[in-house]
Amino acid sequence: MKILVTCKRVPDPDQKIRLQADSREIDSENLPYILNPFDAIAVEESLRIRETHGEPVEIVAIGIGVEECDKTLRTALAMGADRAVLIPWDSFLDPWNVSGILEKIIQRENPSLVLMGKQAVDGDSNQTGQMLAARLGWAQATFASRIEFQSGGKLKVERETDSGIETLGLNLPAIITADLRLNEPRYASLPSIMKARKKPIERIETSELGWAPDPKVEIINMSMPQTSRKKVRLTDISDLVARIKEALKTN
Amino acid sequence: MQNKSKNFDVIVIGGGVAGLSTALQLGRRGVKTLVVDRGALGSGSTGRAAGLLGQLRGSIAATSMLMDGVKIVQDLEAQCQCEIFVQTGSLRIAETTERAGEIRDLVAMGKSIQFPIETLDAKQVAELLPYMKTDDLLDACYCPTDGHLQPAELTSAYIKAGRQAGVEYKTNCRVDSILNEKGKITGVQTEQGISHSPIVVNAAGPWSYLTAGSGDVILPTASIGHYYLTTRPDPEQTVDRKSPAVRDRHHRIYSRPESGGLIVGMYEAEPVEYDMERLPDDFDMSLMKVARDDFNAALLIHAAQQRFPWINERTPMTLTTGIMTFTPDGKPFCGKMDNLEGLFHCTGFSGHGIVQSPVVGVIMADLILDGSTKYDIEAMEADRYYELPGFQTRSEIKSKCAAMYGSYYGRVERPEILSDSE
Ligand SMILES: Cc1cc2nc3c(=O)[nH]c(=O)nc-3n(C[C@H](O)[C@H](O)[C@H](O)COP(=O)(O)OP(=O)(O)OC[C@H]3O[C@@H](n4cnc5c(N)ncnc54)[C@H](O)[C@@H]3O)c2cc1C
Repeated sequence: MKILVTCKRVPDPDQKIRLQADSREIDSENLPYILNPFDAIAVEESLRIRETHGEPVEIVAIGIGVEECDKTLRTALAMGADRAVLIPWDSFLDPWNVSGILEKIIQRENPSLVLMGKQAVDGDSNQTGQMLAARLGWAQATFASRIEFQSGGKLKVERETDSGIETLGLNLPAIITADLRLNEPRYASLPSIMKARKKPIERIETSELGWAPDPKVEIINMSMPQTSRKKVRLTDISDLVARIKEALKTN
Repeated sequence: MQNKSKNFDVIVIGGGVAGLSTALQLGRRGVKTLVVDRGALGSGSTGRAAGLLGQLRGSIAATSMLMDGVKIVQDLEAQCQCEIFVQTGSLRIAETTERAGEIRDLVAMGKSIQFPIETLDAKQVAELLPYMKTDDLLDACYCPTDGHLQPAELTSAYIKAGRQAGVEYKTNCRVDSILNEKGKITGVQTEQGISHSPIVVNAAGPWSYLTAGSGDVILPTASIGHYYLTTRPDPEQTVDRKSPAVRDRHHRIYSRPESGGLIVGMYEAEPVEYDMERLPDDFDMSLMKVARDDFNAALLIHAAQQRFPWINERTPMTLTTGIMTFTPDGKPFCGKMDNLEGLFHCTGFSGHGIVQSPVVGVIMADLILDGSTKYDIEAMEADRYYELPGFQTRSEIKSKCAAMYGSYYGRVERPEILSDSE
């Protein structure tokens, strides 16, 4: 079985983000980038499937973006993916276009399962998995919190919804997007980091894929969230209680 | 907050444990003291530390300072109604004959100064630490009065007691330079204006060589990355809150209990080095994150697994990394140098600032107010590399400090008093 896992390079969401002068892009200078945390969960899940699946499993990590995505893909390789493909692209892509590129890659690679993060923590779109499933006409399960293989190429997936856990049955091929509680990603082991240095990262240009950009979304402006918190030093607990009561009244 | 040109007796640059403890002791002695920090108090190395306290060091001077530190901490606990010191006891273990030799020396030294220490065999160790691999141990020793200081509790106690003693604190205010007139300190230039004082204490931790540099003083410290992991509580591997700390110098690791899980940290041979001047102005150490494929993290996990076989790269855990301040000999810089009157340094704690800080505050207050202290501080005097060739350029300093860090657990030790007597 072949599993394709998408790996997006995103700014570390815990860092202080600044905007560029034109307010259309974030200022990437000095900003640490990481593998999208939900994608790391997807990578981990693919590794666990390989470890427990009866037959051989090949895991291919896919990245779309700037040259530095190389490093992000190395992370997936060090965690245990078998090989990686980078589709170089150096400007903004909306989910429709990302799913378009992925569709082409999937036609080339023929995986039976695509694992993705439920969303990337930079754009928070939560659309790519769904759009990709629609383009391919494949089964999809989003927000997965448990994946179980059953006989005859069937999958049982639990997904987290606001009203509880929903259990879906899926036929392969399928697209599954990972939620936070699906697993806890591993750190790469020493031998695995060494091995990853030798694993290939293939580069495929969008032109080779026969894909042309079809932008649907344009970023017009970004702005920083307003955080003008006022701080006061309180005298004691009763002061605090009084202020909480006051705040409850006015809100 | 307008104290644009307010006057203080002493301004302390840096609100980590070193600066906070110094300010507390100055405040207690009636000195009008201001602590200035570029971020929040305790947001530097202090906020990342594990707090391990092993009191028995290579010299009697260092050992008795740490023992006195525990007493200071116990008083603070009473004053602030909190638990800082967790007395878990500590173990040193040996799996090679060289390390067994170290342990024999340590026990001899401890006994010679009536420090509680005993030798244990592998079976006794296994009883104390059922979650640790012990079948390869040649020797071990146990110090029941050791443990760890909880860094966050210690920090808040310093601040609480400091406020009661009249110390003022100013946060989110970077000091840009130390001001002097004709070789005498006059205050500091901060991003919010000038504050005046005849005495300035440089307690800026990993940044302290930059602060010193702003007054044209060469301070031979380097900023070095350090990692530890904290496993999440696991019902199959319960780690009791009072389970002893472990030092395994052969594998370069230490461990201690933390919230039902285990902290394991490592002094690797080739650490990550940082140039603080290259980090962004608003760099925040508490936001440092360890990548899933970080090499030093993998080294640490590998080493931890040698001693705690149930730990591997899949164990649910948090990886923490932070920046320490190392000196070429692993001893701190406390005191002044000849070239600027009124500038005191209090930095370079080489991975042990949490546990050294209680006494260091007293020493600094003594040095600033009396010009001397009852403690034997020869090994930590700030001017020991002053104008010493080989310790003047950043690259020389960095390589010597990194080598010190790298050999920290690697080299085989002989306590001073034993080697002196030979
Ligand atoms: C991962 C890790 C584990 C550790 N484990 C242990 C341990 O087990 N036991 C132990 O004893 N120690 C341990 N340490 C070491 C310990 O954290 C330090 O020795 C100690 O915190 C040093 O305190 P400090 O006050 O000198 O420095 P810091 O805590 O770094 O304080 C310096 C302060 O100065 C401020 N500052 C810097 N420049 C300026 C400026 N220009 N203007 C204003 N403010 C400025 C910073 O914001 C910072 O708050 C560990 C450290 C790390 C990183």
